[in-house]
Amino acid sequence: MNKPKIAVMAWRNLWRNRRRTLITLSSIVFGVCLSVLFTAMQDYNWADMINLAARLGGGHVTVQHHEYLDTPSLTRTVRNAGRLADLASQDPRVERAVARISGQAMLATAGESYGAAFLAFDPAHEDVETLSLLEAIEDGDVELEGRTTGILLGTQLASNLGAEVGDRVVFTMTDKEGEIVSGLARLAGIIRTGSPSVDNGLALLPLSRVREVLNYGNDEATQVALFVGDQRDSASVARNISALIRENLGDDVAIQLASLPWDKVQPELATFIAMKVGGAVFMEIFIAILVAAGIFNTLFVNVMERLREFGIMLAVGFSQGVLFRLVMLESLWLGLVGLAAAFVVTAGPYLYLKKTGINMAAYLGEGGADVAGVAISSTLRVGIYVEHAIAIAVLALLATLLAGIYPAWRAGRVSPADTIRVV
Amino acid sequence: MSAVVEHKISHPVVAAELIDVTKIYLQGEVEVRALNGLNMQIAEREFTALYGPSGSGKTTALNMIGGLDEPTSGTVIIGGQNLGRLNRKQLSHLRRDRIGFVFQAYNLLPVLSAYENAELVMSIQGVPESERRERVMGLLADVGLEGLEHRRPAEMSGGQQQRVAIARAIAANPSVVLADEPTANLDTETAAGLLDIMEQLNRDRGVTFLFSTHDPRVMERARRLIQLVDGQVADDERR
Repeated sequence: MNKPKIAVMAWRNLWRNRRRTLITLSSIVFGVCLSVLFTAMQDYNWADMINLAARLGGGHVTVQHHEYLDTPSLTRTVRNAGRLADLASQDPRVERAVARISGQAMLATAGESYGAAFLAFDPAHEDVETLSLLEAIEDGDVELEGRTTGILLGTQLASNLGAEVGDRVVFTMTDKEGEIVSGLARLAGIIRTGSPSVDNGLALLPLSRVREVLNYGNDEATQVALFVGDQRDSASVARNISALIRENLGDDVAIQLASLPWDKVQPELATFIAMKVGGAVFMEIFIAILVAAGIFNTLFVNVMERLREFGIMLAVGFSQGVLFRLVMLESLWLGLVGLAAAFVVTAGPYLYLKKTGINMAAYLGEGGADVAGVAISSTLRVGIYVEHAIAIAVLALLATLLAGIYPAWRAGRVSPADTIRVV
Repeated sequence: MSAVVEHKISHPVVAAELIDVTKIYLQGEVEVRALNGLNMQIAEREFTALYGPSGSGKTTALNMIGGLDEPTSGTVIIGGQNLGRLNRKQLSHLRRDRIGFVFQAYNLLPVLSAYENAELVMSIQGVPESERRERVMGLLADVGLEGLEHRRPAEMSGGQQQRVAIARAIAANPSVVLADEPTANLDTETAAGLLDIMEQLNRDRGVTFLFSTHDPRVMERARRLIQLVDGQVADDERR
């Protein structure tokens, strides 16, 4: 029998019990819709968190002294940060490359002193695209290099120090030689991110002033932060930068440097995301099994109700293979119609969540929440990767087809003599 | 040459043959002997009725000839082919190419129109569409269904459905048409009309018909009557 004819028969068979088919379709639609929205939420949130983490300090890829990760110290530096940034720019996926110094400092005002992490950056070359903290300044501004050196403090840290914008703050660090060095700054602005670890313990300082205080060279820094367009390229860019350093600066320099993707620099965040992704995959497989069970039930009942019909078809000369194909085509139609319906049903909520989102601030509390120092967005949004959407569609179709295999096989195993009763 | 001609006249070509066929079913632990060494030959162009009491083996005999069931022992030959030597695929091809079925309950496929049901066997044979169309339209006209080609079985009367079933059975030019109580569910007038059609197809197109029936209206028209009792031929009457 020609294939189009079987496809037509399969299509018509699908609608013989319209209510049952619609119920099965609704389970496919529900499963796909749930999977798409859930995955889209995760894709968006994880990408958002990773990008935010990158913009909080180290970039998507960090080039630093090879021992800095295990024992962060202001003595472990890269001496040619500008050259490294130029090299990194040869990779077209790298959009920005900036030098940074990060470490620990003791901050003191007239009345209080607190330890804090600091990040020194170049205000002339950075903006909110490379340093998200700059968009969280709620009092003062980013002008750090006016008449005196400016400093930005997390809101709780400023409060602890009893400092207000314009007040003097002394920062004390240990330089490369192990000497205690200090600098004077004025509080230029206060940062409120919603992330307790940032608001309680981070200070931002101008790169040039910190270099001066620490006796660093003009091109020296503790890391070069690289920013890529798609965070999923981080690992591959890190490998490529390592290769570029080796090719251009030689093995002696390359061996002293490490080019690390964000998940190596921030393992807590990477572990958190990996656990969440693992959980999501498990849940999606569970949903797929539930949907497949529903489809199997429909197809199996459909087949069992039509045993006589299959007997007739075998009697008039259909082969087992053709009957198998017929039921599998019914299964395929079910999957395709289910996917089309799921697309229509999912589009509305997806677009709403993508464009507008849902404000979840009330559930996060006043202080907000963070993971490994990265604030969790209080607005629930979605944005699915195309390959994930395709994977869900393929998985749903595959589940539908798998659910059809046994009923299809059963259809071909009918004994015409038993089902028809010729005489 | 004349000897050959004489041979053909005296020994018509056999369409179906059962040789010492026995079929034993197990009903629980009880053996039921449905056919008991049955020997029977159906020649081409015959218009034959199998009759007999319930349990006499009519169903089983037709199942054997149709290749729908396997004998416990004995040989079934259709168009010169020993069915016992065919695998499942070859059997389905044999049913497709050499045998037509007409069932008591019509058994049309409900999702197909009259036209599509009638062309079904030709469709799985791979007959080109233009040829299928010509043949099916001619057959539907022959069985009096002109203008009803697009109706689904649910939109037709029992008599009309059975006519479609006959068209489906003979569309692919089978050697033999096996008809299961084809008139059992029909009123007298419809049954007579249907028998007229089958007689005409037998006469004009040379289609071999083998009925199983209790219906005296069929038995009156049959040119050969085979009575089965206890799985054996009890009487074989030619008219």
